[in-house]
Amino acid sequence: MNLAFGLYLVLNTAAVLLIAPLFVSIIKKVKAWAQGRSGPSVFQTYLTLAKLLKKETVYSSHSSWVMRLTPYVSIAAVLVAALFVPLVFVPEPVGGIGNIILLLYLLALARFFMALAGLDAGSSFGGMGSSREMSISAIIEPTTIIVFAALVFVFKSLNVFDMFAASAAAGAPATPTLILLGISLFIILVVETSRIPVDNPETHLELTMIHEGMILEQSGKNLALMELSAAVKLTLLMALLINLIVPFGLTTTLAIGTIAVATVLFVLKATVLAGIIGLFESSMAKMRFFRLPSLFAMAFFFSTLIIIIEVFA
Amino acid sequence: MVAEESMGKRTVRELLGLGALSGQVKEGCNGEWYLLVNETEFLPLVTSLAARECALIGLICTERFSPGAPFSLLYIFEKKGVLLVVVLDTAQSAPSIARLLPSACWSERDCRDGFGITFQGSFDERRLLLHETYPDDYHPLKKDVRNVPPIMKSSVEPSEEYPFRNVQGDGVYQIPVGPVHAGIIEPGHFRFSVIGEKIFNLEVRMFYKHRGIEKLAEGKPADEVVRIAEAVSGDESVANTVAFCNAVEKIAGMHVPDRAWALRTILMELERIGSHLGDQAGMLVDVAFPLGASQFAVIREEVFRMNDLLAGSRFLRGMVVPGGISRDIRTEDLVALGQFVRQVRKRYRTGLKIVLSTASVIDRFSPTGVVRRSILRPLNITGPTARASGANGDVRVDHPYGIYARHLPTVRVLHDGDVLSRFTVRASEILDSLDLIERLLNALPDGPVRVACDAKDGYALSLVESARGQSLCWLWIRNGVVERYKVRTASYCNWLAIEHAVQGEIVPDFPLINKSLNLSYAGTDL
Repeated sequence: MNLAFGLYLVLNTAAVLLIAPLFVSIIKKVKAWAQGRSGPSVFQTYLTLAKLLKKETVYSSHSSWVMRLTPYVSIAAVLVAALFVPLVFVPEPVGGIGNIILLLYLLALARFFMALAGLDAGSSFGGMGSSREMSISAIIEPTTIIVFAALVFVFKSLNVFDMFAASAAAGAPATPTLILLGISLFIILVVETSRIPVDNPETHLELTMIHEGMILEQSGKNLALMELSAAVKLTLLMALLINLIVPFGLTTTLAIGTIAVATVLFVLKATVLAGIIGLFESSMAKMRFFRLPSLFAMAFFFSTLIIIIEVFA
Repeated sequence: MVAEESMGKRTVRELLGLGALSGQVKEGCNGEWYLLVNETEFLPLVTSLAARECALIGLICTERFSPGAPFSLLYIFEKKGVLLVVVLDTAQSAPSIARLLPSACWSERDCRDGFGITFQGSFDERRLLLHETYPDDYHPLKKDVRNVPPIMKSSVEPSEEYPFRNVQGDGVYQIPVGPVHAGIIEPGHFRFSVIGEKIFNLEVRMFYKHRGIEKLAEGKPADEVVRIAEAVSGDESVANTVAFCNAVEKIAGMHVPDRAWALRTILMELERIGSHLGDQAGMLVDVAFPLGASQFAVIREEVFRMNDLLAGSRFLRGMVVPGGISRDIRTEDLVALGQFVRQVRKRYRTGLKIVLSTASVIDRFSPTGVVRRSILRPLNITGPTARASGANGDVRVDHPYGIYARHLPTVRVLHDGDVLSRFTVRASEILDSLDLIERLLNALPDGPVRVACDAKDGYALSLVESARGQSLCWLWIRNGVVERYKVRTASYCNWLAIEHAVQGEIVPDFPLINKSLNLSYAGTDL
């Protein structure tokens, strides 16, 4: 392991933890503006997390070790996954890091434990949330595989680091293939992060909840960890989309100047993307639960198209 | 006037179709007809009324109403233009008519809990408003029971727990929801039987915060009971107060000045607009389309501020009193209201256009939560819910009160019976109400807004159309104080519509269907 990679491990994890809550707040802010409200401050998520960390953790008397372990598994899996998606600096990959299939299943691991925890406390809403989450993930998984396969075909590599390096080297604005891929990735981002039209992160209606239903029984610092892992997941999926489609600024050399510029550029790009997500969410109602596969089919279709183009072009 | 009266009587005769009985028909204070029957006449009469498409809109039990009988049951039947109260005297029991007219089911259970009346042959013997912890043989509405909290049971055996309807089969499981909810909602319990996400059965249980309003009103003068009537349900306080005051005024046989009725009508329509806007915003929140919801929520808030300006209360409380309204509204406030109405109409249309042109919203609204037309009359479903399912009914038109006879609203009828129809019916009604307010403002009569109202003894039935539908009030004043005050808001009947509307729908659509029916917990749980 070289120095650059070691530094990358520390800095990337720190950076993702530090800025992830910001983007959650920005989406909320944009949605509030769209509704004509002023909305909470963009730092509200930090304050909420700080408050939750100080609060007592309450466990249902029906819950088992699953409930206690899940927040740690969730944040660990998501943070390791975040290491697979460099935000601003792409080092030489060491070992198996950056494997896109492993990335997918690290996220699946977090989701699996979250679903178990939803069932664990024995409340009906947690069970409903878990059942819905598993139905959705069973449908979205083949789509995600196809989207990632399309990425692999386009970049001729299974490794996210290589893909980023290639796109950073190309530097130029996105090709039509990449724009199609971007649409697919955006749909996956919306599904994976439980946003409208799949799920409503702001709902108080327990009967409609998916993600919120699963974490309904979590409290205190465990809830903070769950919220934080959701924020980190959002950031890493945004980073995947940004660094593949608009890579300018992304650097492969370890120099303070370039990294600083890359960081500023990344925050700007991610803020714009968060704004787009907020507007996208504002523009439509949540879909009827059983209509969701048609949304996934769109991502599936575009990715299949890319694979066909890549194979026969 | 004379010709009109005889016509009313002729309609009742035709309705009864029984020459022998029609002689005993007696007209009440508010144009309703009373018919005293004995037990042998009762069932054939009810059967014939049911066959003649009369709806049972209320069942009231009262003590010492007829001389010599301990209890009297008042069955209120409604058909366009006619209100017939069938009075059945009883000592302890009466035949159940819930199989014939299902809207009697909750009312019969209500009378059983309140007065200890038994209904022979009823299919539902469970207690309704008295939950398990209430003592046995406790009947709070009886005159000899003092209005103090009873000694509750400290523990409830599993065998005494409320038995919900049981749906069994492969893969069927139950979801208990409430009475404590994740959001700030009133208490109610919903017991779903589902397979996967599909709802096979829903049973609603209410009465978690029973306030004993009927008992509270007894023995108080009418002026005091006005405050109680206002508290029946917060966002329909004008409607329920008008129903009460109308009954008091009709018993007293007095004439309320035209200006008072015009202002009351403006207040009732403002209340309707506020309520409908709240529903529409809520429906959009439930499909997660806050962009549309905020348009209506903002206008609703402005309506409430207008209410505050006009009446000094966001919910228009303290205005309607027996004999008129408590104080006149200043001319400059009425001018401001006129401008407000014009401005709101324009903005409301814009908001409506945005919502109705959003495909994802329409996709969620239609065809979700269909209330079939066939259940409307048996369950006495009224209001926008009924009008969205093809019923051409509106108390303002069918039994006009106040000055509605001169300003008949258009009854907006749609036929699909789904959430979209209920949304659209409300939209039309908001625009109609805005028009009506504007018309009333342009031709507002001068004169006093209140005349002295000396309560006289007697009884009257009064019906109004609240934002939720038909709200019924039966008032009996004896010795200058209220002897019996019965309110049956639209929600009391409409709650049962939801059990039918959700069948075959999926669980995540339940909140939307619930919101589209706009059911009041407080209005049910007196």
